[in-house]
Amino acid sequence: MARFIRSVRDARGLYAALVWLALGYLLVFSAFPLVYNIVISLQTVDLFSLASFDRPFVGLQNYRDVLSDPVAGTVLWNTIRFVVLSLVFQLAIGFGLALFFQQDFPGATYLRGLFLAGWIMPALVVGAVWSWILAGDFGVLNYVLRTLGITERNIFWLSDPDVSLYSVIIANIWLGIPFNMILLSVGLAAIPRDIYEAAELDGAGAWQRFFTITLPLMRAPLGAVVSLGTIFTLQQFDLFAALTQGGPSNASNVAQYWSWQLSFQTYQISYGSVVSVLMIVFVVAVAAVYTRSTRHEQSY
Amino acid sequence: MRLKTCIHAVAGLLASTAIVSAQEVSLDLWTIDDPGEYHYVLAEEFMEKHPNIQINVRTVQFEDMVNDLARAVATGTGPDITYIDNPEVALFASRGLLMDLKPYIEKSEIVNEEDIYPGPLASVTWEGGIYGLPRGANTIALYYNADMYREAGLDPDNPPKTWDELYEAAKALTKPEENIYGIAFSAVATEEGTFQFLPWLQMTGGDYDNVATEGGARALNFWKRLLDERLASPDTLIRGQWDSTGTFNAGSAAMSISGPWELPRMSEEADFDYRAALLPVPEEGAERASALGEGDNVILASTDNPDEAFMFVEFLYEQMPRVWNEFGYLPASEVEVKDPQNPEIYAVFEESMKYARNRGPHPEWPRISQAIQQAIQTTLTGQAEAEDALATAQQKIDGVLGK
Amino acid sequence: MKRYILLALAALFVAIYLFPLYWMYVTALKSGSEIFRFPPTFWPATLHFNVADVWTRLRMDRFLTNSLIIAAGTTVIIMAVGTGCAYALARVRSIWMDVAMFTTLMMQVLPSSLMITPIFVSFNHVGLLDYPRLAVVLAQAAKLLPLYIVLCRTAFMQVPRELEEAGLVDGNSRLGAFLQIAIPLARNGILVTAVLVFLLSFGEYVYSRSLIGERALQPATVGLQSFMGPNTSDWSGVMTYSAIYVTPILFIFVLLQRRIVSGLTAGALK
Repeated sequence: MARFIRSVRDARGLYAALVWLALGYLLVFSAFPLVYNIVISLQTVDLFSLASFDRPFVGLQNYRDVLSDPVAGTVLWNTIRFVVLSLVFQLAIGFGLALFFQQDFPGATYLRGLFLAGWIMPALVVGAVWSWILAGDFGVLNYVLRTLGITERNIFWLSDPDVSLYSVIIANIWLGIPFNMILLSVGLAAIPRDIYEAAELDGAGAWQRFFTITLPLMRAPLGAVVSLGTIFTLQQFDLFAALTQGGPSNASNVAQYWSWQLSFQTYQISYGSVVSVLMIVFVVAVAAVYTRSTRHEQSY
Repeated sequence: MRLKTCIHAVAGLLASTAIVSAQEVSLDLWTIDDPGEYHYVLAEEFMEKHPNIQINVRTVQFEDMVNDLARAVATGTGPDITYIDNPEVALFASRGLLMDLKPYIEKSEIVNEEDIYPGPLASVTWEGGIYGLPRGANTIALYYNADMYREAGLDPDNPPKTWDELYEAAKALTKPEENIYGIAFSAVATEEGTFQFLPWLQMTGGDYDNVATEGGARALNFWKRLLDERLASPDTLIRGQWDSTGTFNAGSAAMSISGPWELPRMSEEADFDYRAALLPVPEEGAERASALGEGDNVILASTDNPDEAFMFVEFLYEQMPRVWNEFGYLPASEVEVKDPQNPEIYAVFEESMKYARNRGPHPEWPRISQAIQQAIQTTLTGQAEAEDALATAQQKIDGVLGK
Repeated sequence: MKRYILLALAALFVAIYLFPLYWMYVTALKSGSEIFRFPPTFWPATLHFNVADVWTRLRMDRFLTNSLIIAAGTTVIIMAVGTGCAYALARVRSIWMDVAMFTTLMMQVLPSSLMITPIFVSFNHVGLLDYPRLAVVLAQAAKLLPLYIVLCRTAFMQVPRELEEAGLVDGNSRLGAFLQIAIPLARNGILVTAVLVFLLSFGEYVYSRSLIGERALQPATVGLQSFMGPNTSDWSGVMTYSAIYVTPILFIFVLLQRRIVSGLTAGALK
């Protein structure tokens, strides 16, 4: 005990203890479900053997079954589009707005704060509201587009297989903008003004300043936003449930929703777990590549 | 104050001696109803009649019922009695998780197996046993807006009887400039889509285990034509029956295919002359078919109080004559309904019930249903020809059926 | 002049962005069939107030109380567990801290709807399901902890190290420096993040739906969903419910928003 207390007194011990407190909590409450998913993905499981671990082990057979399903390809491609497009637009619009509100004008902070309202809305409510806005026959978005002369006919946002995925992406971008904007605003505010002033004296234009000062100094916040954004995007479930249910004909189905459908609608629980394990593998791979690339940058 | 305590004590004493023979029993009941609906109302009535039996009602969302129930059964926290949607009964019965009611029914003076309509009876039957009692039934029919019929020069007393007539009517009733579609129905990729499509398939001689037929392709192509020519909204692909019929009530569709559960809302919101007709058939004289919906009251095999549980389920069954007027279902057995509300529409649904067929039964019904949904959706979105989509579905269904 | 053009532009952006919110309120005030009308009306033709009806019929007071309890519980646990971790991650840069950070993030990559079955099974195993609201709080805290840590970390990074070093010289222990110097200085950022966690937990749905069986203990989201069920929904009612439910959140938010935003951003200027 005395050793423990002493170790807490020196910095490393304290830091380690504090980190372990949180990690321990997560291990207890999150790691178990993950391990459980992995185990299930290797077994034959049905609805009624969920509570025991004593089930037939089938190795990678489930993985082969899932990957050979013709739906798998569609879902993978949709998931990639969903994640990449959501991230790119959330980031671009969020960054743009952060830069815009960085300027000095009356009410800037106040108006910027109003954007956060979108983020704190319960996802269930957001889904319901967007399903009304995007409705094909009586949706207000179609009305606005037609009045402005942008489209001639109603677009069936949720039931046209060529469009439905983009509808969910639009709603998801809407949800993600505030988070991106605020986090990036934090980063922008941390950049000392005098660097810009010095650059301006050296004759650097606005674009030059953006690319030589803002972007490099924003690397850390951008990294945080991208990694958290990836997680939020992959976690996005409620919008699919509220808007398209992955349809029509899987045109807007993504991994997280497909996994849920397999487990909870057709009760092929092993297959559902396979998809969720593959999702984790995918994210870990992307994240590993990302961390490697940032290490590389820092080393010179 | 003290007097009051005394009275309470005496009353309590009296009460306890009165029911000393019957032990206090408490039963857990799961339902998809909200307070004020069927199970809540009838549980209260039952408890009044049997003060020694306490019924704890819990609401579970319709779409969560199977998962929550399976999880509860797997972890030993299941209820005594529950509601199950009829295509799901086989799933639980095949695992031996439900109590066979046959011995009880044979002794019962209230329940008579012969009185139950064949469709609902098939839904609770599994390998010779009877694993539940229907709480009611529903089916689908064609609602139509008689005012719009008159405006379009159609005869409201002579609704479409065949698919061709239905198509002609839908065409005459569609008014794109006013955002009015000829017909609303549901081809959504959920159980509701299967529910709506199966009768069309069955009228042409197919069924859930035989979908890759010429008639099946004809039915799907008929649906596709309605969508392609914009006689029905493209959102038919993602809308359930309730929302589809909502557009009918709002006057944005002239006809709608749905069930009796729509009537309470329709009577409030639809300010026009609405009527109902039997589902049209492929051609004159063809076999009729309709969907069979609603669910069953079942008792879990794990219950500690099977006798009391059956008493309650029996009591629920006894209320069958009330279900149309009070709860909006059709009776699932031969009973006399006195002064039915909406008598003309009731007559249509009552007749339609004669043709209502059960989905399945099969313990892996959801996978069969999903194969059918996928065929509907790939055809209607133009990703596949009806024949190919149905052949794919047939292959999957054969896999499930072990053919 | 330029400043006012910017203001006008900003107002326009906000208006476009908040349109869905406006639409929720307008839909709540429309009658059943007006919702389906095309072209849509931007202001209800006949005002249709059913706030009182929805409130009493659905016993929203009880639902909202449960939402409050769950949100408050989650926030307390997250603050207790996560603040120290955020601090440590802000102070130390080493490969191990990167690994720790990475692990925390990875563990939350799956949506709640895919985590719920194992959580249900394990919670049932240890008897946690007898305390359903606590169960939801524990699960929800695990879900939002990574977010809290990442956001709080930036708050601690803005506290100059030198102040803590000075505190150490004055005889404070490391722990004392953390509790008495770092936390008070990062107070704004911590509180703001806590408010966000609170507001996000107020909208928790998936865990509550599966872990809380008893109606009297369910939060408002579950109540809303049961209201939206396949055959019982009236959309104007749903939007009314949503509006009742969201309005207090928005109200707290508008009251606190200057603090929230400055807590998240302005601290960095010093």
